[in-house]
Amino acid sequence: MGTLLTRDTIDNTAHDPTRPQELITGGYDFTSLTDKVCGIVERRGAPRAWWVALGFSSTLAVTMFAMIGYLIFNGVGVWGLNNPVGWGWDIVNFVFWVGIGHAGTLISAILYLLRQQWRTSINRFAEAMTIFAVICAAIFPGIHVGRVWVVWWLFPLPNYQAMWPNFRSPLLWDVFAVGTYATVSLLFWYTGMVPDLATLRDRAVTRTRKIAYGFFALGWRGSNRHWHRYEKAYLILAGLATPLVLSVHSVVSFDFATSQVPGWHTTIFPPYFVAGAIFSGFAMVMTCLIPAREWYGLKSIVTLYHLETMAKIILATGTMVGYAYATEFFIAWYGGNPAEQFAFINRAFGPYAWAYWIMVSCNVISPQLFWFKKIRTSPVALLIICIFVNIGMWFERFVITVISLSRDYLPSAWGYYRPTPVDMLTFAGSFGLFFTLVLLFMRYLPMIAMAEVKTVMPQKHWESKVSRPVGDYHGTNPGDR
Amino acid sequence: MSSMNQNGLDHNYWRSLQELSDEPEFRRFLEGEFPEPAEVPTDAMSRRRFLQVMGASVAMASLVGCRWPQETIVPFASRPEGVTPGTARRYATVMELAGAVSPLLVTSFDGRPIKVEGNPDHPLSQGACDLFAQAGLLELYDPDRSRHVLEREGGRPRRRSLGDGEAAAAAAFTALRARRGAGLAVLSEASSSPTFAALRGRLRDELPEAAWYEYEPVSRDNERLATGLAFGEARRVRVDPGAARVLACFDADLLLDHPTALRNARGFANGRRAEDGEMNRLYVVESDLSLTGGMADHRVAMPSLEIPRALYGLAAELVLGRGLSLPPGYESVLPALEHVRAAGHAPAWMGAMAGDLLAHRGESLVAVGPRQPDHVHVLAILLNEVLGNTGRTVTYGPDDQRGLSHGAAIATLAVTMGKGQVQSLVILGGNPVHDAPADLDFGGLLDRVAESWHLSLFVDETSQHCRWHLPRAHWLESWHDVRDHDGRYAVAQPLIAPLYDGWTPAELLSLLLDGVRRPAHDLVRATADREPGAGDWEALLHRGFAAALPVEKAAALDGRGVVAAVRRGGMAKPAEVGRENLELVFVRDPSLHDGRFANNAWLQELPDFMTKLVWDNAALFGVSTAAALDVAHGDVVELQLGERRLEAAVYVLPGHAPWSVSLSLGHGRTAAGGVGNGTGFRAYALRNSSALDAAAGLKVVRTGRSHRLATTQDHHAIDAVGMREREKRSRSLVVSGTLAEYREHPDFAAHRTHHPPLVSLWKERPREGFAWGMTIDLSTCIGCNACVVACQAENNIPVVGKDQVAKGRELHWLRLDRYFQGDPDAPAVAHQPVACVHCELAPCEQVCPVNATMHNEDGLNVMAYNRCVGTRYCSNNCPYKVRRFNWFNFNSDIPDVRKLVYNPEVTLRSRGVMEKCTYCVQRIETVKIDAKNEGRPVRDGEVVTACQQTCPTQAIVFGDLNDPQSRVTKLTTGDRAYHLLAELNVKPRTAFLARLRNPNPELAESADGHPAH
Amino acid sequence: MATRATHGLYGYLAEFREPWDLIDAAAKVRDAGYTRWDCHTPFPLHGLDHAMGIRGTRLPWLVLCGGLTGLTAALLMQWWMNAHDYPYLISGKPLFGLPAVVPVTFELTVLLSALTTFFAMWGLNLLPQHHHPLFNSERFRRATSDRFFISIEARDPLFQGERTREFLAGLGADAVEPVED
Repeated sequence: MGTLLTRDTIDNTAHDPTRPQELITGGYDFTSLTDKVCGIVERRGAPRAWWVALGFSSTLAVTMFAMIGYLIFNGVGVWGLNNPVGWGWDIVNFVFWVGIGHAGTLISAILYLLRQQWRTSINRFAEAMTIFAVICAAIFPGIHVGRVWVVWWLFPLPNYQAMWPNFRSPLLWDVFAVGTYATVSLLFWYTGMVPDLATLRDRAVTRTRKIAYGFFALGWRGSNRHWHRYEKAYLILAGLATPLVLSVHSVVSFDFATSQVPGWHTTIFPPYFVAGAIFSGFAMVMTCLIPAREWYGLKSIVTLYHLETMAKIILATGTMVGYAYATEFFIAWYGGNPAEQFAFINRAFGPYAWAYWIMVSCNVISPQLFWFKKIRTSPVALLIICIFVNIGMWFERFVITVISLSRDYLPSAWGYYRPTPVDMLTFAGSFGLFFTLVLLFMRYLPMIAMAEVKTVMPQKHWESKVSRPVGDYHGTNPGDR
Repeated sequence: MSSMNQNGLDHNYWRSLQELSDEPEFRRFLEGEFPEPAEVPTDAMSRRRFLQVMGASVAMASLVGCRWPQETIVPFASRPEGVTPGTARRYATVMELAGAVSPLLVTSFDGRPIKVEGNPDHPLSQGACDLFAQAGLLELYDPDRSRHVLEREGGRPRRRSLGDGEAAAAAAFTALRARRGAGLAVLSEASSSPTFAALRGRLRDELPEAAWYEYEPVSRDNERLATGLAFGEARRVRVDPGAARVLACFDADLLLDHPTALRNARGFANGRRAEDGEMNRLYVVESDLSLTGGMADHRVAMPSLEIPRALYGLAAELVLGRGLSLPPGYESVLPALEHVRAAGHAPAWMGAMAGDLLAHRGESLVAVGPRQPDHVHVLAILLNEVLGNTGRTVTYGPDDQRGLSHGAAIATLAVTMGKGQVQSLVILGGNPVHDAPADLDFGGLLDRVAESWHLSLFVDETSQHCRWHLPRAHWLESWHDVRDHDGRYAVAQPLIAPLYDGWTPAELLSLLLDGVRRPAHDLVRATADREPGAGDWEALLHRGFAAALPVEKAAALDGRGVVAAVRRGGMAKPAEVGRENLELVFVRDPSLHDGRFANNAWLQELPDFMTKLVWDNAALFGVSTAAALDVAHGDVVELQLGERRLEAAVYVLPGHAPWSVSLSLGHGRTAAGGVGNGTGFRAYALRNSSALDAAAGLKVVRTGRSHRLATTQDHHAIDAVGMREREKRSRSLVVSGTLAEYREHPDFAAHRTHHPPLVSLWKERPREGFAWGMTIDLSTCIGCNACVVACQAENNIPVVGKDQVAKGRELHWLRLDRYFQGDPDAPAVAHQPVACVHCELAPCEQVCPVNATMHNEDGLNVMAYNRCVGTRYCSNNCPYKVRRFNWFNFNSDIPDVRKLVYNPEVTLRSRGVMEKCTYCVQRIETVKIDAKNEGRPVRDGEVVTACQQTCPTQAIVFGDLNDPQSRVTKLTTGDRAYHLLAELNVKPRTAFLARLRNPNPELAESADGHPAH
Repeated sequence: MATRATHGLYGYLAEFREPWDLIDAAAKVRDAGYTRWDCHTPFPLHGLDHAMGIRGTRLPWLVLCGGLTGLTAALLMQWWMNAHDYPYLISGKPLFGLPAVVPVTFELTVLLSALTTFFAMWGLNLLPQHHHPLFNSERFRRATSDRFFISIEARDPLFQGERTREFLAGLGADAVEPVED
């Protein structure tokens, strides 16, 4: 432990363009790194803190499922929804979680294509978080409908009415977008994890571990003929996932943008939603990662440099979001559509103004603190601000969904939405589910993508030592392809 | 509020006072995070009170199915013999409410009545129908109706079979007959039935010792007394607003609260269509904001007790100011008029009104409402006489009603009961324990009567104080006959045999007189045979009423009576209502009448046409009065009248008279049934026999508590931001202008709703076949709610209960948006019925993921309920917010008997699906099928939607927009037509016709009651 | 002239401590003309493919086919379902409009490409294969954490028991051991 502490003090954020960035501090070599990462999974018994956290979050998760049962038994009326506000916390939570689910694939795909080597320390964790967030997200559209038992009619499956879904409906686009995104993210995550699972298999001391990890390791034996195709596949998946990341939240934003509710009907939504998603996603990665690296002593693998870089991305996307807010207002005024104009005046000064100002202060103002290096290199400050960002981004979805609906065209049909305890417990429960999954992941799966980290470790700078140039011979090796 | 007055000239509508007011705790409410979360029903069904008891009521499976009356009843449309199952047939009948008659046509399906409409051939209804007759259907199938004879022994009710009950009654009646009726008193409701009158006559002759009393808590007795004074005998005042060019109403709600309200409304509306020529002008002087007041071109709000002064002032202005000459013999009223003129000044409107009346002699009408004392009615009779209106816009027909006024009758009965002179009391209907004047303590007196029988539909407050309760037959189960306001004879035939073998009052009377209960059919038949002009029995039933009007002897004005009354009134010391002397006005409840309909869920959930209140009544205060008394919307105040006290919730209503408080009668029932128990506040607790209509000396004490009032508009808070926006926006939503503007620019509506050219992104397909469309004329829509009930009955729309409405989950497919405009103390009112407008480019359709809503071949925007998944996306995307969602299963726990009301042509919607107006697609299909069978095209006007069918003013027109000759096409392309939110390019098929007002140029006011610039 | 490998021998396994040694060695094995041999590393080594003379994989072409299938399937499905099999008039719009079908088409294209990539990659790698002779070697367990290996199979035509073993040892391997089949 003591040695760990000395390592942690290393600040690798100082930027020296003459040297390649030192991504892994503390003098780790392949062996010690493997020991470190696998050690977390292999140690007997989890720390008490882990059990406490698991108990708490799983209780919350159970509460959510109880609430869902209650909802299905009685009807959507147990929520605070009404006419005109047909979508409330259900859709707010959906968009919120889908947004969270953006960081993972962004880090693994886009940063991979951009050759951002620092991603290797955090991509495994971020991808896991993506999967879990998308799971939480998928629950809400599923249960928000009036008749849950026929929600499968949204899929193009034959049913007794011989009718097909309406492909003009953005909700249907959602089904495909979120479905595809979840699938691809899962493939990506799993593919990346196979070599590490093999590592755990090969280090396994108990039979159960050997079988369990062995089964999922698919018999990976580090063969370079495999690595060859594996890396190609990884590159392709990254290439596919990149437009996907951008498309998911664009499609989610279509739910609003293609309808004609004042405050929804704007073309800025796709980029604005994507920026917001990345913003909230990174914030959530930080929120989970900062405590994790503390508790599991990963400070020299997930270094200050990593945190700082993520902080910079949050600062950038946060500023984009702020810009989007400003643009919305400008266009509402400039576009001269009175209904639009009122929708935005109503946001800022109407009965829900408090929600709007919470959103602005959390999303636009708080990340600006990251201009100060002191703040963006202080884990505590980062954690606090990231939590604020998460709050703000939930309120952004609340502002867009609820405020716009509560007052649209006919004043006689204006309404006011209040959530019920069922709404609140269901939302709290989704966090329970999320953290339950995160905790199980940290306990049983390699939190750090070892195989990838090893490619960016100091000893990797070995090319110089190659004694002689490797000729360009191409043997005919059957089975290579 | 000042802001209101500034932009007063604009057609700025705002919807109620929460918006205008900005008081602090209101702001706090707005700013609090999620104030007071919506209540979660642990068991949604049982939470809705009206279902609790309905659910608890005994299963009545045996009742489902056909119950054909034994006597032959004759269908309206098809031949009597040969009943084809599964086909709807329509029968003519009538409903009588407190002596007023609604001629009806009832649709019966396999022996169960499922829809009540007006009899199109009858001049009084002309097809239109009021709320009570339509909702009578639900009353018929009310599971709370009494099913047994009850005998009270030691205060505890015991069930008796009908046979035992009848035997017991027969025995007691025999004894009474032996005593020649000594110690017997009969308390009856008012009735115009000749059969009933005959029986009553027999009672007078055969049981001379017996006493007969009639009591209606809400009646037009003042008018009857006045005609007694003016003509020497009681007369029915028949008005014809259709023939009047200028109407001056003093506390008179001609369009709603009148025996011929439906015909009045039709006539009034015909005089409002500027296209068809001139437009009439309506002046209203009243205390509360009545339906008629909402339609007024000029409305003056003043306390009810000061209105007599106003009419005398008008008379003085006409006679003294404008030299209207009185006929010889009437000069002696002059001192009275001079006295009035000396006492009070003449406001501007009075001069203008007088001028208008003089300019339209013979085609004007001065009407006085039932709450005004007799001498005011007499003065009106005199004014109409001297203005030459008598015989033109107003006539006086004979009145069968005899004897004491209802107030006097109940008081006299109470006195005799108090003296212990009543041993036997037979109560035929009515509920005096609930609605008799509070000072009489009728319940207490009733307990002391040895033998008391109460014949009634429910085991109500009165039944609980009577020895015997006898189940009464509902009017849809009864043979009955009536004489309508015009004196026309009509017969009511039952649509279904009595569900619980109840009796009619006539049957009970025959038991009393003859010792045997003769069937109502025979009694009525006997009368009909005697009735001159009734004609052939079957023809009579077929038609529903007698063709010939009885010969009446003309009414001759009795000068001395008139002069005496007018002098009495004129010389009387005028009431001084003010801050120190508030008045309380007892108003007939527009939904519950006198409270007898309290258990009717349709009527309870029917939004009041002005307040939009449901499941409640409230003490109505004017804006400035509320401010002065420092009471706010929803506060609970204690109303103190003499030693009487009542706690009631405050509703601040724009346009309500200053220093006056209105409270509607009928709520606060304790034994109404599962639906009606405990709603609202019992106004009768404050009503003394000395002041049945309006009482001075009211004290209002704040309790500091508040009461949740559920309204279908503003069931949410409106802040200043929203209020300003509404003012800006409403201009183009409810387009209204003055007759002058219209004459100048007939297309002013188009300018008000100006929008950029509309372009679609794709090529629209041409309309083929039918293109059903609708127009709604805001000039003639009086906002009477008849269409809302018709829609509810036709389309099986469930009732959701107060909690759900308060959350904003009412299910009415058709809602009446009500907008106030301008000065809160003298606002203009506009009603705008809004249902699905069936857009050509319906925004709801494209967002539905499962094709549950789409266009059918007629271009209707239809819902496939069993396809709907319930994403509510369509509702979010509907700019009119006319889609309704089934948040719970609102059709579960319905007792079988209650299910008899369902229209078999319309699907019941389950939990979790969206629903909305269908343009009554089932009616469209019926007509198309008929036309096809007869191999002919569908005729224009052949398809009639439920709302259109029942509209008293024919404000709604429906038809085929592809037919260039159809009325709807002509109106849609006409001057005043405009489309709501046309700028969205959704191409709605429902068009509105701009509202026109006809203000008096003399009064420096625009149509909206604002100073002109 | 080479004597067949002893029965039950899978091949020889050479262990290297440093990646660059492995690369050098791999190049030599390649030049020696062996065909049934392989390198095993805990992480992908850049330059190793070249050193082993591995040619580009055909994976991308399979993915392209997958993607095109998704694209056409999506377009056909949407046209058939909304415009042909059960046409409805929705919001007065055309039965089949390209803009409306773009999102689903895009998603299905990506989905099928991704699935092809995943399954084709494992398929071409002949994985999962939970049993492999190399797993019999105790040393080899470090191949997935911190050691680098070259394996030459006995089935290789050039394989000559001892010779091959010496050849491997001569490449600077830290250890060479036979692997039982």
